Amino acid sequence: MPDATAPLARLAEAARDPRGYIERWRSAHPGQPVVGVLPMNFPREIAYAAGTLPVVVQDDQQPVTEGRSLLAEFYCGYTRNLADQAATGRFSGYDALFLADHCIQLIGAADVMRAVLPDIPVFFGMLISSMSDTWAPAKTAEMMGEFRAEFGSFTGRPVSDEALAASIAAHNRDRQLIRGLFDERSAGNAVFTPGQLQDIVGSGMVMDPVEHYELLAGAVRAARTAPRDDRVRVHLSAHLCHAPKRELLDLIEDSGVIVVDDDLFHGRRYVSTDVDETGDPIEAIARWYAQRNVNIPCPTRVQQDADWDAYLVGAVRQSGAEAVIHLLPKFCEPHMLYYPELRKGLDAAGIPQLLLETEHEGLPAESFRTRVEALVERVRRKRPVTH
Amino acid sequence: MTRRYLGVDLGSTTAKAVVTDAGGAILAASTVQMGAVSQRGMQRAVDAALAEAGITADGLDGTVATGYGRRLVPGAARTYTEITCHARGTAAMCPGVRLVIDIGGQDSKAITVDADGLVENFAMNDRCASGTGRFYEVLARALECDLGELADLARRGGRDLEVSSMCATFAETEIVSLLAQGLPPADIASSVHRAIAARTLALVAQVGKRAPVVLTGGVARNRAAVHFLAEALGTDVQVPDRPQITGAYGAALLAMESAGRSPAGPASGSGDADMSVPMFPGPAESDRSCAGCDGVVAPADGATKVKLRLITRAVTG
Amino acid sequence: MDATQDRSNRLSVTRAGGQLITDYWDNLFKAREQGKQIVWYNGGALNPIFQAAGLAWCHGEAFAARLAAQRLEGPAQLAGAEYGYNAELCSYARTHLGCSVLTLGNQGHKLQGNEGEQSGVVGINDSQELAARLPSPDFFVNNYAGCSTGQQWDGISFRVFGKQLPIFNISHPFLWGNKPDAGYLRGEEWESASRYVAGQLRELISFLEAQTGRPFDYDALTEAMTYIKRAAQLRREGLDLCQAKPAPATFWDWIACVAPINFLPGDQALVDYFAGVRDEIADRLAAGVSGVRDEKYRLYFDGIMNWNKLGFLSRKFAEHGAAVLCGRYIHNAFWQEPQLIDTADPILGMAQHYLLCPTNHGTKTLDYLTLRDCRDYDVDGIVFHSTRTCRAFTGPQRLLARSAQDKLGIPSIFFEGDVADASFYKEEILESRLAAMLEAIDVRRARGGQLAGAISS
Repeated sequence: MPDATAPLARLAEAARDPRGYIERWRSAHPGQPVVGVLPMNFPREIAYAAGTLPVVVQDDQQPVTEGRSLLAEFYCGYTRNLADQAATGRFSGYDALFLADHCIQLIGAADVMRAVLPDIPVFFGMLISSMSDTWAPAKTAEMMGEFRAEFGSFTGRPVSDEALAASIAAHNRDRQLIRGLFDERSAGNAVFTPGQLQDIVGSGMVMDPVEHYELLAGAVRAARTAPRDDRVRVHLSAHLCHAPKRELLDLIEDSGVIVVDDDLFHGRRYVSTDVDETGDPIEAIARWYAQRNVNIPCPTRVQQDADWDAYLVGAVRQSGAEAVIHLLPKFCEPHMLYYPELRKGLDAAGIPQLLLETEHEGLPAESFRTRVEALVERVRRKRPVTH
Repeated sequence: MTRRYLGVDLGSTTAKAVVTDAGGAILAASTVQMGAVSQRGMQRAVDAALAEAGITADGLDGTVATGYGRRLVPGAARTYTEITCHARGTAAMCPGVRLVIDIGGQDSKAITVDADGLVENFAMNDRCASGTGRFYEVLARALECDLGELADLARRGGRDLEVSSMCATFAETEIVSLLAQGLPPADIASSVHRAIAARTLALVAQVGKRAPVVLTGGVARNRAAVHFLAEALGTDVQVPDRPQITGAYGAALLAMESAGRSPAGPASGSGDADMSVPMFPGPAESDRSCAGCDGVVAPADGATKVKLRLITRAVTG
Repeated sequence: MDATQDRSNRLSVTRAGGQLITDYWDNLFKAREQGKQIVWYNGGALNPIFQAAGLAWCHGEAFAARLAAQRLEGPAQLAGAEYGYNAELCSYARTHLGCSVLTLGNQGHKLQGNEGEQSGVVGINDSQELAARLPSPDFFVNNYAGCSTGQQWDGISFRVFGKQLPIFNISHPFLWGNKPDAGYLRGEEWESASRYVAGQLRELISFLEAQTGRPFDYDALTEAMTYIKRAAQLRREGLDLCQAKPAPATFWDWIACVAPINFLPGDQALVDYFAGVRDEIADRLAAGVSGVRDEKYRLYFDGIMNWNKLGFLSRKFAEHGAAVLCGRYIHNAFWQEPQLIDTADPILGMAQHYLLCPTNHGTKTLDYLTLRDCRDYDVDGIVFHSTRTCRAFTGPQRLLARSAQDKLGIPSIFFEGDVADASFYKEEILESRLAAMLEAIDVRRARGGQLAGAISS
């Protein structure tokens, strides 16, 4: 019986050490550029079709040192980490930086990186975030077209429709495989821990999608199924742009909780939506962007008829979760703004919830344990008595 | 045979132990001031409570531990968070309470409880000194009085000076500069109390204001703190007779429920104690093992051997 | 600090402006009774369009600023906290959203607690508070360039009000400068962004026609913009006059003029007001009267305004003999380029002003603007307001500090405060750092040379 361990270990390695993966990729693809893309909506498909390796830049979880002289301490941990990477030479593996999102903190970080890394192009193509406007689809397609043109100039070779189609297909295939694991978990298969799923998604953000798919397919073939045990079933929500610390995921599962679903960025959000493989590829990518916010609404987009709160309640019912733990990275404004609506919606639906604010440096383990255990105590009390 | 239950609250600056009988009445209570999460302090509190109740550890029918150091309490059948325990204990001491505000030395909590005295929602501030007992210590030190005198001083204050800083360190410099301007210490004291009450109000806002309100924890003994909090909340604030032991008391009541007895008190079909399964199982037990410990703790002095009945935390991971 | 020590000499005309503002808000509070339709909006100054459409308008940030300036923000912020807003959230948004909660409470909506009359940290008897007096909106318009929180804000207000009301969003491209021809007020990206926003303003006008049921009065828009353009020109003249040494007025006087230029109706009263400001400054110049008695230092203030501390800050800087003369929030905002406005067809010029929000520029442009003003006003040092809950404004500050030091030899300090939440203000930091910087400037002057490095970071 093949073992899932080896492929999972390689995926974990890429997720946890993207720089190492980038170096290996460069050796295997001499002359081909590696571009850093910032979360959460940049269309990797276009960059990959141009022959580059698009890497969603990961928070490398090292303490912020020189970055403190670039961005204020009340910027979110991810953006301060980005500034720190740029300031200390940890960004040298990238040939360019691309941004599509309009979060002012991401813009602030990219602006600072642009100043500190004058030798690499930093391109910002702001995707419209007001999704319901009648001009939104056209403006989105226009911007996707600009990305395509920009990659054409960057690589010196126009990006062909065929390359786009192949890139889309490769990304879809990988996404579908990953998404299947989340669907299985939601349906009751507890074989993968939250940390393992984070490695699976995180490596998907970093690796060539074809390579990622092959490794993951190997791991999936070999994996067993495992039933849920009796811990309190929880849905983990949000933690946008960057991954929650693995220690936090372990702590949560060690405090009487089993995670049965999530809408983390390093989770369902990243793989929620596929690109239509028919028709014009740029139009299809534009529609993908719009559809993502319908499938899992994001607080960074403004759309009146896509409700994150309704999504969350629905997801909880679907997975059988008994509670929601909101993971809010300190200073994430879109999340802070939307959170009261989530709280209201879950309260109205009678779903217990807990808010944990994470910070970049330090994990107040005892403090979090107390909170999670208090939630568990409350939820267990409400369970139907079985004896 | 008379049954006895022990609740131990091993907090950040104090250890509390309470012994109850089968009816949920408090037979003994002890509080020991100590350094951070001290097992010695905890043992002293436990020994004192047992002695006051006239029993030894063998005479206990159940022990529950709570507080930050709850996993360090040997002999505890299970642990509960101080959220659950404070709510239980306060609801038993002050029946009908809907909002428990607990202000300890280093943290503060707001807990809403339902009609059965069980936890609904909670918010904690344990990341900084803002709004905690520590703030009062800073104030007392700056005004060169002890905590007992501080309450009287604050009650005499008239003018509200703007003391707005959230950080205890900056509050201290702010207070010193107010003193340097020759402003009356009483006004400074009352202004700081008002500012702390405002911070507490912000904590309460996170869970929603309910009434009746009960204040527990060491700070509840400060009559000025109670007064200014009531003023900020716009509602009466009750203080139980022994506000510091509500957590340990709640733990003892939970020990009683765990052992199969409900306390005489608000009848409730679903108590906090879930007796059917281990409280905090880790993932599949076969994947986890401790490093060969036999579950017996023998302290250096060899006087007592304690058999750990706690679920041990995994070493791998 | 007693009056004899107060070296600040504020313009007297701004008190008249204060009355105009009070009247404006009192009028707005009665708008519902007067049968007017009310629009809530944030971001750029859309009021002339609303004026031409016959609406009553409420700028969310302006109300939050007013509450903070009057130290009345407490109930709104508490209501916001109870609704679930985190204390680290933009305090403008948090304050205004708290007002939304209070306004809804006044209408009998139970948003927090379900326990009967005693629920809520802010009780129903607080409905007389200023924070609770905003009339509820008929619809929302969001016009926020730069800050993403600003854009999301009205989308959240929309949800707080139960998703019942219409909302219109204007999207503003960030003036990033991808292309080599990019610069301040020039380049392909600037031109295409201007046209894009102008197009959305025309869509807005259609939206307003649908909401009001009447055709839009373009003549009224031209009229309003004619007054606003004139007022803006007078304001610019006044600003330029403050380059004199000693300066006849300071940054704090211009802060007191923000409300009129930001949202008062475009009419003769507005023009008269800014003519009065300009004239008082010109008169002072002629009479040799300065904004700070015995001006010794000239400073630039970067950051959004610390509204809770306006009077306090103006006295504090003056106490040190420091005239704060210019700042991004005043000089790079509020109809600051009136020459762009063609009153016969003002839409494009208006669109361009909305794009020129001070948080909508990258550091390259801000570097240009800041250093230009530092030179023009002959500034000795820069004070950066490290605004705790405003990440939009504070993003480029560290780079700007370095640049001012490297290119112009100008030192800077950072102090901690916030736009509307007084609890983030750290008095001692400002005091000690300001004193240190001014001492360093003295040393530099004595030696006739330049400082080696910035005072603090």
